[in-house]
Amino acid sequence: MHIHKLEQYWFIAIAAVLGAFGAALFASILVFGVQVPTPVSRIDPQQISTAFPEPGLRDLGNKRYTAHFTAQTWFFTPKEIKVPRGAEVTFLVTSKDVTHGFFIEGHDVNLMLLPGQISQAVTQFNRPGTYNIICHEYCGAAHQTMVAKIIVTE
Amino acid sequence: MQAAHSPRRLPALTFPSFAMLASEQWLVGSHILTALAALFLGIFLGPFQAFRRSPFFMETFTDWQIPFFSYYYQALTVHGVINALFFTTFFIVGFSYFVTQRSLERPLWQPSVAWAAFASIFIGLGLVLYAIMAQRASVLYTFYPPLIAHPTFYIGLVLMVVGTWLVALNLFMTYASWRSDHPGEPVPLAVFALLTNFAMWCVGTLGVAAEILFMLLPMSLGWVKTTDSQAARALFWFFGHPLVYFWLIPAYVSWYTMLPKQTNSKLFSDPLGRVAFLMLMIFSTPVAVHHMFTDPGISMVSKAIHTFFTFIVAIPSLMTAFNVGAMLERAGRKRGGTGPLSWLWHQDFGNPVVAAQICAMILFIMGGFSGIIQASLTLNIALHNTSWIPGHFHMTLASATALTFMGITYWLLPLIRNRALWNRKVALGQVYTWLVGMLLFGHGMGAAGIAGAPRRTDFAGSPAGYLSVEAIPWLNSAAIGGAILLLSSILFYVNVIGTLAFSTKPVEDEAPISTTGDPHAPLILERWSLWLGIMFVLIVIAWGPVFAQVFDFTNGFKSLPFSPMGSPMQIK
Repeated sequence: MHIHKLEQYWFIAIAAVLGAFGAALFASILVFGVQVPTPVSRIDPQQISTAFPEPGLRDLGNKRYTAHFTAQTWFFTPKEIKVPRGAEVTFLVTSKDVTHGFFIEGHDVNLMLLPGQISQAVTQFNRPGTYNIICHEYCGAAHQTMVAKIIVTE
Repeated sequence: MQAAHSPRRLPALTFPSFAMLASEQWLVGSHILTALAALFLGIFLGPFQAFRRSPFFMETFTDWQIPFFSYYYQALTVHGVINALFFTTFFIVGFSYFVTQRSLERPLWQPSVAWAAFASIFIGLGLVLYAIMAQRASVLYTFYPPLIAHPTFYIGLVLMVVGTWLVALNLFMTYASWRSDHPGEPVPLAVFALLTNFAMWCVGTLGVAAEILFMLLPMSLGWVKTTDSQAARALFWFFGHPLVYFWLIPAYVSWYTMLPKQTNSKLFSDPLGRVAFLMLMIFSTPVAVHHMFTDPGISMVSKAIHTFFTFIVAIPSLMTAFNVGAMLERAGRKRGGTGPLSWLWHQDFGNPVVAAQICAMILFIMGGFSGIIQASLTLNIALHNTSWIPGHFHMTLASATALTFMGITYWLLPLIRNRALWNRKVALGQVYTWLVGMLLFGHGMGAAGIAGAPRRTDFAGSPAGYLSVEAIPWLNSAAIGGAILLLSSILFYVNVIGTLAFSTKPVEDEAPISTTGDPHAPLILERWSLWLGIMFVLIVIAWGPVFAQVFDFTNGFKSLPFSPMGSPMQIK
């Protein structure tokens, strides 16, 4: 099949552009350490109260924390947590009923919450303020009211 | 097959250039008019949602509700299901029948099967609409369980999918009989593209068919007690990404094979067009985990594999940019464009059919790049389920596809009605208001998404402080875009109704059909077993591990169904 010279140049341009995007993607993972949600473990959504730790913040010392959350229509438990500036928090979240989302304003935490799965993300809170945790997946009639808060203190 | 019983060469059927045969008029007309009627319902709900999401609008008109609908998510379900699933399907099927019969110069394999398919999809539309309007199916067009809708919603979707399988069978058999009559000749490019489209559709719909038939419908009927959200999402998106190319390829058919005639130009390369369509077909499925990058149940390796193939599937669209761009350059130079760039503005911008397609391409450039950005695994963390995503797909589905389909309507509807388009100036006004409105809307949604505004959320009912202050101006500008799109939609339907009821002039635009393919197109491109075989291998590589992860019948499949009206009300 004959391919015109101009089109051959275009193929090189396509390869260069996509190659550059791909390289940036690799760099974001390998150099900057951006983490993508990966499987943690399954859970029986009907046994959350026994199989999942009590929701809340736990201080591991050295400014490291874990925060367990459960989601159900239409609220998160806990509704609010407070962490000091510089805290590195590991979020472990699951849903008790339908599909929900877990999105923290201004931070790289963006998780789907599926009944039967535990979702995990780690982030650091460096700017004091109050940040919304928003359910960003449609979960029924009052979805738009489903929000919790993280207060980052000085 | 048929060829064994019929004479070796079916005499070519001649189609009038400025009219339709009666059989064509009924079949194509029924599909296109149903599509436009469905779109009428879906299109006007779009701006209303943009208004509900605009803090300025809702402060000005406190407690404003979307007219005729009980609540936001019911209207959003209609907007998504009707526009994305039924308007597109009816239009694509009618358009595909028209293009296939005329390009191959022969009737469809079985008109009766075509009518059976129409009936199936039509009844499907009726059942789905019933379920949504009866407030039993506010589950949006992605219908993720364990939210469960009324059984009529799922039965309607099954009828729609089964109808499209009959359509595919009809097109494949029509092609097969043409093929046996024309050994050694490449099929016209438009038909080649539509064959890839329906082959891809038949593979992709297996996912959603399995999801509905084995998981959702039995649960909705109460036969199955528990389900698995992650498994259902995997099956849905196995279908969901082929679905977006199912919308796109018919628009490409118009750009590749019709726009050259409408601009008095010539396509740069027919064979490379075929390669692009084959690539879209082959790589449509092993990419779809990019819709589930933030899902907890899929491994990093699978996410990386699908990211890689997503970059590959950008290639056919970038090839299209060159091929169609070179064709437009030729058209612009014929109209007096000189130098490296001035052909760009020497286009036939006064012809609504041409203008619609060029505006669709301009918007699709934004759609393509926003797509590559959000499909980049790590950037997706910032964008997943924010309003950036609907911003993106309004640049693809609602622009590349819908605006091109509007441009097609401006020459196809006159052929159906046997009268000229009612008013070309109104049509031009429609096209340019769509361009401006969609740019404002898409940009507003994208910027609000970067500022953290979630998608598919009725902000009017949110608690104070829900939205970040950075998102608010962009939601307002998106609503201004919505208002302009509302005007554009009104202009479109004024012309549709004007053409059907008030136009008196004879048809002006010829049917832009080619009955031959480029003789240089290698016949290996039509060796379907080879390409479908490669597609199958890639599906096994990309999806085998995903399905192995999500289908765990021991530890998974434990979640109960819920109604979208709220916990703890469960469906019996």
